Amino acid sequence: MKIAISVQKATFDTEAEQRRLTAGRLDVGAVVSFTGRVRDANERPDVTALTLEHFPGMTEKSLHEIALEAGERWTLQAVTIIHRVGRLEPGDAIVLVMTASPHRRAAFEACDFIMDYLKTRAPFWKKEHTDSGSYWVSERPSDREAAKRWELS
Amino acid sequence: MTLTHLNARGEAHMVDVADKQETRREARARGSVHMQASTLALLADGDLPKGDVLATARIAGIQAAKRTHELIPLCHALALSKVSLEFTLDAAENCVHVEAFCRLNGRTGVEMEALTAVSVACLTLYDMCKAVDRGMIIDGVRLEQKSGGRSGDWSRQAALDSPPASSGEGGAAAPTKTLRVQFLAELRERLGTGEYHLEWERLPSPDIAGVKLALIERDPKFKALLDQRVLCACNEAMSQDGAAISPGDEIAFFPPVTGG
Repeated sequence: MKIAISVQKATFDTEAEQRRLTAGRLDVGAVVSFTGRVRDANERPDVTALTLEHFPGMTEKSLHEIALEAGERWTLQAVTIIHRVGRLEPGDAIVLVMTASPHRRAAFEACDFIMDYLKTRAPFWKKEHTDSGSYWVSERPSDREAAKRWELS
Repeated sequence: MTLTHLNARGEAHMVDVADKQETRREARARGSVHMQASTLALLADGDLPKGDVLATARIAGIQAAKRTHELIPLCHALALSKVSLEFTLDAAENCVHVEAFCRLNGRTGVEMEALTAVSVACLTLYDMCKAVDRGMIIDGVRLEQKSGGRSGDWSRQAALDSPPASSGEGGAAAPTKTLRVQFLAELRERLGTGEYHLEWERLPSPDIAGVKLALIERDPKFKALLDQRVLCACNEAMSQDGAAISPGDEIAFFPPVTGG
């Protein structure tokens, strides 16, 4: 399985990433791609920007581990995870998860799994900026519930 | 500790393993090839003149693992049951991380096979890319973990977590041991500090819970760490209150994560 991890300030080009993911491979039957974007309304209705902080070193390691775990659960040929950090504005892409597999089900489920684990395990924190001030975003119980779906009994 | 590849006269010899018990042996090794960002991009896009670099490096690594005994003089020839290689393209560090895993049921370990697989996969990456980048650096070739056999299990992480006891008087001369404790994101702002150095002697117990208590003893504001939602990492791995720590470890406390 080819794993590509990047934590970066710059934006990403989904099409270029997909070409990179499948370069030279004719056995990839399915590519699933998820892009997360910054919304203009979250905990308060007038989000003008957000700042993403992370824990360098641990972040890359945890994303790599999540990709490896996905590779153990599904037949995957490649995984790309790109997460942006720094200052972002509404409409900006913030995260890209792309999975490649011979058949669609594995790619769909693995992409879903990676996002759920990323949201509950990878050390990123969002601070939202609004006209009425800035605040750190709280965790969502729904994210934890979503991650629990994948627990192996 | 003795070197098993030397006999009583100090001469090299091959260890007779006929009487050793067969156990499941596994080993994982890693290494990296650092290159220019443009080379990494060509590699990722499959645009290098010699073709599919990673597929070639993977086969090279597997072949190398099988032929380790031909390269390393006192190594036994092993019938490996599994050899796998993983490549991670790291755009942040401009490098390719190579990981090899070897397994067999047998009488000798497979560390040398995993290390050989990583080394030859790295060399093959170099060969496949050298037309565009001669300055590439291969580094960090190392064993990450091994299991099975008389010497038991070993992992780099566990060895880092519990370094061997300092020998004799050498230990007494060591400078004051400190722990670096970091606070991240909202917790850093709430505590008004991003970093704290704690003397090892102040810990009531050598674990994460001990770090929290020692901090609270220094300043009651650290009671915030007792909130069960506060997460902790030791040397970049998530750790619970009971996790053992050692002098020199890097501890970080942070709020629940909110990425994605």
